[in-house]
Amino acid sequence: MKDIKNKKENNKTTRATLIVLTVFLLIGLGFVIFGDSKISNTENIVQNVEVRDGTQYVTVNARGGYLPRISSAQSGIPTKLIMKTTGTFDCSSSLTIPELGYRKMLPQNGETEIDLGVRKPGSLRGLCSMGMYNFEINFI
Amino acid sequence: MKKYTFHVSGTHCASCKILIEDILGEQDFIKNPKVNLKRETVELETESEKSQEELASILTEKIKNNGYRLAVEKEESLEGDGSVLFKAIPIGLVFLALFFILQKSGILNLGIGGPITPTTGFIIGLIASVSSCLAVVGGLVLSRSAKVSEDNNNAVDKKNFTLFHIGRIVSFALLGGVLGVVGDVIGINFTFTAILGLLASMIMLLLGLNLVGVFEKSKVTLPAGVFNFFRKVQHKTLTPLIIGFATFFLPCGFTQSMQVAALSSGSFLSGMLIMLAFVLGTFPVLAFLSFGSASFAHSNYAPLFFKTAGVVVIGLGLFALLSGLAGLGIIPPLFNI
Repeated sequence: MKDIKNKKENNKTTRATLIVLTVFLLIGLGFVIFGDSKISNTENIVQNVEVRDGTQYVTVNARGGYLPRISSAQSGIPTKLIMKTTGTFDCSSSLTIPELGYRKMLPQNGETEIDLGVRKPGSLRGLCSMGMYNFEINFI
Repeated sequence: MKKYTFHVSGTHCASCKILIEDILGEQDFIKNPKVNLKRETVELETESEKSQEELASILTEKIKNNGYRLAVEKEESLEGDGSVLFKAIPIGLVFLALFFILQKSGILNLGIGGPITPTTGFIIGLIASVSSCLAVVGGLVLSRSAKVSEDNNNAVDKKNFTLFHIGRIVSFALLGGVLGVVGDVIGINFTFTAILGLLASMIMLLLGLNLVGVFEKSKVTLPAGVFNFFRKVQHKTLTPLIIGFATFFLPCGFTQSMQVAALSSGSFLSGMLIMLAFVLGTFPVLAFLSFGSASFAHSNYAPLFFKTAGVVVIGLGLFALLSGLAGLGIIPPLFNI
């Protein structure tokens, strides 16, 4: 009888430990999923917006996600988005821009030009069709 | 005619009632077996002169392949249902964390240049099988396999999984060939795959909740008629074949890239070879998930395995559902893996 009681006490402590462990794991998982921890993100701040002959070109690289994730561009001038792919087979090659109703498979290698027209201030978002990669262009 | 009441263990689903009653009913010395899931008992009438203990062990022989046991006395278990779940949740979370860390690490983002040959197709398949596509296809395979193993014995579920993989491989090869022939005439419809993906993630969530045991806890059980229907559908040879076949259309960036490659390959043979190589590349991981769950499901760790699989499947299902909705532009994206 005493044995069973002891076991029950033990079970209670294991259960408490497991609950604490669960909470820690949940927090950790949250960081992994929502955290923006891609190292390349901070390293690759490149000048990806240029204006040539009155047209603004925004270049975004697509492979295993989109880089840069957030670009900043001017509003009020004709703008073209250039999607660059380099041996891209993952979801980022299957691009959708919901606001424009744009859906396309980008070629595995190359550059795809997308005419964005003259944008008003605000942000434009592109995603891969499964939705786990995205990028944003902020028009100022 | 004597009437006995046995305690039964291993009943984790509403369909278990039907299964046990079916098997016991097939024995000619048993009449009117009645399973009470709530009290975990079986009542039956018998003409046999054997003692209740002997009957318990004879009948356990008949149903133990399906994971059930009969006993005269209620088996004293300190490990209640709850504490298994308390273990399953952290274990499942560890698996989920490992999966997402792998996605974030960037290891899988190696670019593959040059034209797509069956060899590169196979390598891309290998990568795809551990990529975020695993959230949809792998999650579906795991949840279905765990569920099928839970409800069936070893021989039945192995056959079921084999048919699923055959359906998958055949559909990729065949439809790959078709894409090679028709060329650029048809495009792969994004919305169609996206909706199919949402459907798959909802099935995963349902099966996951079921595996974890939410339905048995809250006593939300479907009527026996509905369960009978599902059991019949599940036992049809065609069902796993069709599900395997349909995985061709599930959303996965890699699959879509390969479909485009098959489209532009120009002939039935080359389209077929590319898709066949790709699907064979995904086979090891998916085979491990399905046949692995079968062997876990019939081991002593079965309860822990089912609940852990349930936790993992719920996590993957939520991920697939929320990203799928974001991909359709319905909700803003939550993840950037």
